[in-house]
Amino acid sequence: MFEKLRRIDENRLEVPRDYKPGMKTRGIIYVDSALERALELGSVEQVANVASLPGIVGASMAMPDVHTGYGFPIGGVAAFDLQEGVISPGGVGYDINCGVRLLRSNLVRERLLPRMKDLVDVLFREIPAGVGSKGKLRLGKADEEKVLLKGARWAVERGFGEMADLERIESGGCLEGADPSLVSNKAYERGGAQQGTLGSGNHFLEIQYVDTIYDEEAARALNLFKDQITVMIHTGSRGFGHQVCTDFLEVMSRAAAKYGIELPDRELACAPFKSAEAQDYLAAMKAAANYAWANRQCLMHWTREAFMSVLSMGPHELGMTLIYDVAHNIAKVEEHTVNGRKTKLIMHRKGSTRAFPPGHPELPDAYRKLGQPVLIPGDMGRASFVLLGTEKAMQETFGSTCHGAGRMMSRHHAIRQAKGRAIWRELADKGIIVKSTGRETLAEEMPEAYKDVSDVVNVVHNAGISTKVARLRPMGVIKG
Amino acid sequence: MQFETIDISGDAGIRARGSTVPEAFANAGIGMYSLITDISWVNESTSIVFEANGDSLEGLLVSYLNELVFRFDTHGFIGRKIEIGDISGLSMSVTVYGEEFDPGRHEQRLLIKAATYHNIKVKQIDGMWEVEVVFDI
Repeated sequence: MFEKLRRIDENRLEVPRDYKPGMKTRGIIYVDSALERALELGSVEQVANVASLPGIVGASMAMPDVHTGYGFPIGGVAAFDLQEGVISPGGVGYDINCGVRLLRSNLVRERLLPRMKDLVDVLFREIPAGVGSKGKLRLGKADEEKVLLKGARWAVERGFGEMADLERIESGGCLEGADPSLVSNKAYERGGAQQGTLGSGNHFLEIQYVDTIYDEEAARALNLFKDQITVMIHTGSRGFGHQVCTDFLEVMSRAAAKYGIELPDRELACAPFKSAEAQDYLAAMKAAANYAWANRQCLMHWTREAFMSVLSMGPHELGMTLIYDVAHNIAKVEEHTVNGRKTKLIMHRKGSTRAFPPGHPELPDAYRKLGQPVLIPGDMGRASFVLLGTEKAMQETFGSTCHGAGRMMSRHHAIRQAKGRAIWRELADKGIIVKSTGRETLAEEMPEAYKDVSDVVNVVHNAGISTKVARLRPMGVIKG
Repeated sequence: MQFETIDISGDAGIRARGSTVPEAFANAGIGMYSLITDISWVNESTSIVFEANGDSLEGLLVSYLNELVFRFDTHGFIGRKIEIGDISGLSMSVTVYGEEFDPGRHEQRLLIKAATYHNIKVKQIDGMWEVEVVFDI
């Protein structure tokens, strides 16, 4: 079925409306000819399936890091009309508000190098990670409800960070309209001991340095400079968000049947946006999104503490402040211009990042002129990127861009490839210290298992839906 | 054991067999536990019992496995042996023998976060039941 795809330009492929019966709009996949070769048929099918859902507005899109997900592809962007359209948990993903935050510091690489081993050891001890690990916090139901309503603010009020952090988080680290009463007891139980934990799989905490600046002016505005130490944290809403998704897939599956929506795949279960089922999901999803923002806030605080204790530095000298925090698995009502008219839409971003342009009212004052910082983590051996949102993204992709490198190799294949190799030593030879709780985690997550993030980022940069500011190289990685 | 792993990009799946649906389901559960840890180190010192329900055999499989995920994620319960009673009206009784997961003693493999409907299969082949399920990790 690849032969049905049509190249629109250097950076975009079209999945035409006749690719598959039932499509209400076309699909657009952002890939250049090199990444097109890594495209899986399964993800093209999924782009087409999403195009068949009721009330979709514009094209069903996928970013260059696209790969096959559950229902919606990972790397997917889809907008739905509030009157005619649907909301789907599959368009958000199991890990609700999985996302990334980036911290800057006053440190330069040379200063940190001699202390790296100690620092990684302390972070590994202080940041709970991995299978069966327990967090430092134990939340009762009343506490958890506060987390769900307040998001990152809850953490700051508990002493984990500063109020100033909040304005540098997408949506201020809290979505309004979360309803804790719509969350199951199972989700509360899973969430009770997992607030302030990193998790496992592709989640990580990484110490990095700025190795290339592409846009000097923007880097200055973001307070970034060459050889500077940064920290990137990638995690989400943990078991709490997964339980919310699992619970609502059942609700939505029944709702789809009730409202007569035909589903090509049960993981696409959805309900009309206006229905009670959809509104309940949205309010529970917001609660999970807030749980995730509180989680990244706690982890950032402990990271700062670890740096201060290992380096015997005060907060002022260390200067470890938040650059930004983005969600890359989320649904939100946003205003966009469609056919020249301002319209509210329910945006689904699953493995894709919001990339709002300069001047957008949702951006904090500090970044209003600059545009929204976009944080793109890569694999643990290569690089990560800081980009900015653009007006073109607003026009073409409802203000969205890619979210990461995108997996290329299955876990099994990666483990086979890694057999007889010591991945940690290969990384150590490149100056990257890695610590992980799981023996197989490093093999599964080895750099070759992913597309080269630079190729992915070049596509979104060349397509103009975000622009490169800086490249970050890993020095130390904590994984589950 | 009557199960094997399925190779899938980014995540992990299990294909399990049994002469009856309950047996195939039980083997799928053991397969899932084997993705989390090496179950030969798990003791059968305690047990849990619960009732699972679904709207179809596939729905029943997903809901039962998600209950195991939930018990692991909240109470650290890891199983080694699973007994499933007869399925009547798309509900079944499940007994799992195991113990509390101890990272000091048990290998930390994959953190399974949900059983999904992605490419799910429950089918009868040559008199044997075969199921396939993919997990979000």
